[in-house]
Amino acid sequence: MRKITCIICPRGCTLEIEEAQGNEGYIVTGQMCKRGREFAINELTNPTRTITTTVKTIYPEIPRLPVKTSGEVPLGKIFEVMKVIDKAVVTHMVKSGEVIVKNVLDLDVDIVAASDMYIMMGV
Amino acid sequence: MSEIKTYDVIVLGAGPAGLAAGYAAKQAGADVLIVEREDRAGGILKQCIHDGFGIIRFKQKLTGPEYAERYIKMVNELSIPMLMSTFVLGIQKNNELFELQLVNKKNGVFALRARALVLANGCRERTSKQVFIHGSRPAGIYTAGTAQYFVNIMGMLPCKECVILGSGDIGLIMARRLTLEGSKVLGVYEAKSTPSGLARNIVQCLEDYNIPLYLSHTITRIIGSGRVEAVEISKVDESMKPISGTEQVVKCDGVILSVGLVPENEIAESLDIKLDPNTKGPLVDQNFMTTMEGVFSCGNALHVNDLVDYVSESGELAGLQASRYARNSHNRNLIEIKSNNRDFLYVVPQYIDTSSDNKSAVIYYRSRDVKQNVKVIIRCGYNIVYQNKHSVIRPPEMEKAELDLSNISINQDCKLEIIMTEG
Amino acid sequence: MSKQLKKIEAELRKNISNSIECREWRNSIVLEGKVESWDTVTAAGKKAANRGYKGVVNKLTVKGLEIPQINSPSFTDTTLQGKKVDVLVIGGGIIGCSIARELSKWDISVLLVEKEEDLAMHASSRNDGMIHPGIEPKPGSKKAYFNIKGNEMYTKIAQELDVPMRRSGSLVVYDSYWVKFIYPYLKIRGNKNGIKDFRLLSRAEAKAREQWISDSVSGGILFNTTAVLSPYKLTIAYAENAMMNGAEISLNTIVLGMKKHKNDITSVLTNRGEIFPRIVINAAGVYSDKIAEMAEDNFFTIHPRKGQVLLLDKKKGSMLTSVIGKLSITNVKGTTKGGGIVRTIEDNILVGPDSYEQPYREDYSTSRENIENLMKKHFEILPILKPSDVITYFAGIRAATYEEDFIIEASEYVPNLIHAAGIQSPGLASAPAIAEEIERLTCKVLSQYKQINKKQSWNPIRKGIPELHKMTPEERNKYIKQRPDYGVIVCRCEEISKGEIIDAIKSPIPCVTIDGIKRRVRAGLGRCQGGFCLPNVVKLIQNEAGIKAIEITKKGNASNLLTGETKTDSIAKEVKK
Repeated sequence: MRKITCIICPRGCTLEIEEAQGNEGYIVTGQMCKRGREFAINELTNPTRTITTTVKTIYPEIPRLPVKTSGEVPLGKIFEVMKVIDKAVVTHMVKSGEVIVKNVLDLDVDIVAASDMYIMMGV
Repeated sequence: MSEIKTYDVIVLGAGPAGLAAGYAAKQAGADVLIVEREDRAGGILKQCIHDGFGIIRFKQKLTGPEYAERYIKMVNELSIPMLMSTFVLGIQKNNELFELQLVNKKNGVFALRARALVLANGCRERTSKQVFIHGSRPAGIYTAGTAQYFVNIMGMLPCKECVILGSGDIGLIMARRLTLEGSKVLGVYEAKSTPSGLARNIVQCLEDYNIPLYLSHTITRIIGSGRVEAVEISKVDESMKPISGTEQVVKCDGVILSVGLVPENEIAESLDIKLDPNTKGPLVDQNFMTTMEGVFSCGNALHVNDLVDYVSESGELAGLQASRYARNSHNRNLIEIKSNNRDFLYVVPQYIDTSSDNKSAVIYYRSRDVKQNVKVIIRCGYNIVYQNKHSVIRPPEMEKAELDLSNISINQDCKLEIIMTEG
Repeated sequence: MSKQLKKIEAELRKNISNSIECREWRNSIVLEGKVESWDTVTAAGKKAANRGYKGVVNKLTVKGLEIPQINSPSFTDTTLQGKKVDVLVIGGGIIGCSIARELSKWDISVLLVEKEEDLAMHASSRNDGMIHPGIEPKPGSKKAYFNIKGNEMYTKIAQELDVPMRRSGSLVVYDSYWVKFIYPYLKIRGNKNGIKDFRLLSRAEAKAREQWISDSVSGGILFNTTAVLSPYKLTIAYAENAMMNGAEISLNTIVLGMKKHKNDITSVLTNRGEIFPRIVINAAGVYSDKIAEMAEDNFFTIHPRKGQVLLLDKKKGSMLTSVIGKLSITNVKGTTKGGGIVRTIEDNILVGPDSYEQPYREDYSTSRENIENLMKKHFEILPILKPSDVITYFAGIRAATYEEDFIIEASEYVPNLIHAAGIQSPGLASAPAIAEEIERLTCKVLSQYKQINKKQSWNPIRKGIPELHKMTPEERNKYIKQRPDYGVIVCRCEEISKGEIIDAIKSPIPCVTIDGIKRRVRAGLGRCQGGFCLPNVVKLIQNEAGIKAIEITKKGNASNLLTGETKTDSIAKEVKK
């Protein structure tokens, strides 16, 4: 049995997870909503996270643009993904959601803008 | 002399609270102006590039800028005027009207009038001096928010190898942020015996990156002449006093402080509005009106919230009520809500206005300690109006009780009371 | 060995440490040997002082105690190589800068060197900003003379240099009846020193003047001439006025040695080259004995006496009018400083300083114990003060000699050296008078070398950076119309505009450090301690002075604020789970 803090929402439920006998899969307890079960199983088998960071831009008023991964990436891949993001440079004005790096490391996840440069510039 | 313009509602601050307040007031039909001292709307969210915002409001995990931009767009769609880079110098109340003295680049010093005011100026961080850290004064000591601005907005690193004092959420988030950008975070030191930040941030910001959290530890001395060279760490006892003999020196080039936030209430104080010593924000009723008629408070200026969703919620309510007040004020009858400092860090609002036609009240509360299996009850005499069982209740997490007051008669002899019991 | 020397040595050995040896050098007494603690060093020095010798040269060392090297600029160059000047002033504190300004009246070349990145980095920015009335110094001392004279001069000086000053008066309160019996003694002393306006206040009168003082106060003595101002603004103002009138200032310049011919100093060696001055003025603060030693004229020793100070939020500032002190047996004697509660010129409340001996000349660290004691001691007098009002605290170090008096004189042995040394409290109050005296001495010596005349063009008026938050709306609008940047507030706690910060960056002595800007315009000195405005100040320095963010420092000398850029050198690490 393992104890896990759920990070889906700020409530931070303490979940207990153990492998069930037979083909039941896992027994998860302690969650206050149904999302807890999925989280606990993922956390045990393939923990994933969204990365939020910034990329360089060519605009002196906005030296860095907030970006995020469009979906979750394996926890163990975070620094590899960061290496790719660190090399990227935004060379034109983008809006929230625009793709900055497509299919990063073939993880089926894009790096997308998480802020609107037009709003940032006050346009 | 040009005529002084009068608005129904002036909102001070264009962060998540102020934007929501302006939006709600405008929707309710008021003539609204939002005043912001910075050059961009969004408040502190501009630099909070991590996600997790909007889970309640938008049922989505948004980044801070994304969340702010949604509200900025809403405010723009209603064509609510915003005065940017404009600073309030002083406010006076004359004959039911507020006269504001402001300054900006274009107008110089100028005046505006409002029938109602919404204070949405947010909070600020406690500093190293306020937690009485001693030693020398080298460069490299920053509050987590300042470090966050350097990293996220300017793209600059404040240190290569740092320690973090305090386990507040911004500190935890900066631990992850600095690590992702290649700085080393040697540890997070918290004087209390339980973390100040949310449990999920302990997991996703510290545990994911193997950053150690040392509870009941504090920095007792800073060493260094130019830059920080090291810190002296000590264990602390239950009353958070350093235990001599436990000192150890940790080499580092930076100290990030995440030792708490304090509502910014210089304007409220200048108006002689009474503040709650527990929240450090104004005392308010269920409509978020302060002790001064016509002045409303919301967001982190009222009390430091754990979630931006609640900040917007309080902003909306304050904005709506401010617009109602501007049209049509009534004589308030304020009855205090009884609570105790033993169980609760604070309870907001602190009053119920029984003559208000708003009969629904949202009561926010925080537990003083981490407790398991407790019941929080709100009652009026023998009449229990709310109860909630908490399998665990922690100070970092704000709790919320929605009450319907329409069938309860609250008066001086029968006040609302919030209590915490076992079971 | 003279009889007196023998007597002192015997006394020191018997009462303090038997490893002390005494000898005479010129007309001073020299103490030598290795002792157990720093307290022993200072106790011996004090015991030997004022016993018929001109000065105490205390060469006692402490076993195992390492005194750090002087903080020095990290570079060398040849900017000043071969430079010839009439007067070289060593030290850019209030004393050096006020001397440079007074000398700038004359048709002579003046160069001031300061080892730090900015002026007023030591005692001149680390004190309570009080212009003392002159009751503490012993009648007949240099301290008494210059304090009273300096205090009087301030009305004119502050006006000429555009430095805000308030004659707040000071109220020395007491809580026991015996003080009434001491008052006649204080009155005699005050009259001897020449203090003009002071009197005893009853309990009711004291309360009427200061309604928030503790009920335990049973009366006080009011000194009307006491004033407050910003000591670092004053220092910078003096320096700017000196520069306007032709004096030169070289920062980041440390004196490393001197060359002499017979008794005269022929050249002064610095990290920026060898300077050839006609006259050298020693205004080097806590290092004034070391400068004297370079000239082989070290007849005194500085023992650094530290004090810690609390600064409180402006919210409580309006609750005080006067500087408040408390009378105790120790400060009646007049040698120790009790510290007090000061409403600063900026309306913060300042509490302290305390006072204690320690061996380090530049260690400005603060300690929990001292800060807690300050709160305990002073909050009692003004019970509205609370620990939560504290926004910052700092330490200063007094350049005390064992004689505990100023040294303001032409050297007896080095004809072209003049000392303005051992200046501690009330040094700020005395500065204008000290500067005039040094000016007189310098002219006297210099006139032996050349004929000197007053400059026709000398202008005593200097304009400071406008303080917009103190102006009327109409005045403020005039400024904003001229320069819209005065309408953009950058430091919200102190209400300081972008225009004022740019003025500081581009001031006559350009200021590109965070602490320097704080000293000049107070940006970052308020309750948030720069949390909000620091990044904006960094951007302004970057844009206005063309310095890269990465190179901007807090206070010069390797105190860089930032260590690098993101996205350039991130070191990827494996996540283990």
